[in-house]
Amino acid sequence: MKFTKEMRSQFSHPFNLLAVCILFVGACVTKEKPLPIFGERELVGTDTVYHRIAPFQFVDQDSALVSNTTFQDKIYVADFFFTSCRTICPIMKTQMVRVYEATKEMPDVLLLSHTIDPEYDTVALLHDFAERLGVESKRWHFVTGSKDSIYKIAQTSYFATAMEDKSEPDGFIHSGAFLLIDKKGRIRGKYDGTKEEEVNRLIVDIKRLRSTNGI
Amino acid sequence: MRKAILVWIAVVGIANLFVGIHGCGSSGNRDTKFQQYYAQGQQLYEQHCSNCHQKDGRGLGLVYPPLAQSDYMDKDLDHVLCLMKYGLSGEIVVNGKAFNKEMKGVFSLTDLEVAEIATYIYNNWERDQGIIDISDVTKAHQKCDN
Repeated sequence: MKFTKEMRSQFSHPFNLLAVCILFVGACVTKEKPLPIFGERELVGTDTVYHRIAPFQFVDQDSALVSNTTFQDKIYVADFFFTSCRTICPIMKTQMVRVYEATKEMPDVLLLSHTIDPEYDTVALLHDFAERLGVESKRWHFVTGSKDSIYKIAQTSYFATAMEDKSEPDGFIHSGAFLLIDKKGRIRGKYDGTKEEEVNRLIVDIKRLRSTNGI
Repeated sequence: MRKAILVWIAVVGIANLFVGIHGCGSSGNRDTKFQQYYAQGQQLYEQHCSNCHQKDGRGLGLVYPPLAQSDYMDKDLDHVLCLMKYGLSGEIVVNGKAFNKEMKGVFSLTDLEVAEIATYIYNNWERDQGIIDISDVTKAHQKCDN
């Protein structure tokens, strides 16, 4: 939209300007700002193309293939962890269980936890872990795959840190981030999964995202 | 200025009142030692244990067993004093439910620190076992089988 001469003359009158301001304030009060879209964007013709999660294919705790199509038309929350981790993962899992409970009645919301220690975290082990948490596989996928593909998707698609580091107490460094992904595969929020208040914000944002059909 | 002085007097007065209540409520050295163990134990608990067992001691599902309301803990204090330092693996049954995830011990804990954590977890969550002393830990650690 361009400023035309007429518009400029409209704004020039102080009362009109005031009216416009009130209108804007009113709009803000009645309608919430949409969630931000993370990552780089490109302008292709007149369309803006946003960063999306790259295609992936992993195996979950039931040995089922999990890929982008699993999350087609779904909102999901992703994180990176490993079952033998004693530092931040137990807190993250406690918080993710809260997200799981909070989204129980939302069939279009799924959870995706990637192990960053696929050598140790086999399908059988992930199955046992999920079962012990008491969560359903169809709503919360615990996935494993090749180490490279997991680290790569963490870093390039989810902007999350995940790598091996023998100097760390458990042998890995990784962020405790929870990422909120919309129905188009775009990142709409990043939260510290070790902090209760941040996860409260995530739960609110999931509801906000649903109110705009998940896009 | 006058107002500020009045506020100051009120603050000091209230503070004194608190000190007075607590000071009179405790009965000498034994309790001071208990308080120190308990407070220190809470800090150590939050540093080494609560990630998994949770701050409220309720654990997580069947992954991490609870400490608050745990027949396993009530059954054998010496065993618990050992596993904090030396760890535990294999299946255990807590309140009738089976858990099976290795817990690595915190080998760097001193006898005093184990005593402090034990004092905290055995006097919290409706438990009232009194102080667990260093000598209790030293004695238990001589017979650890894990």
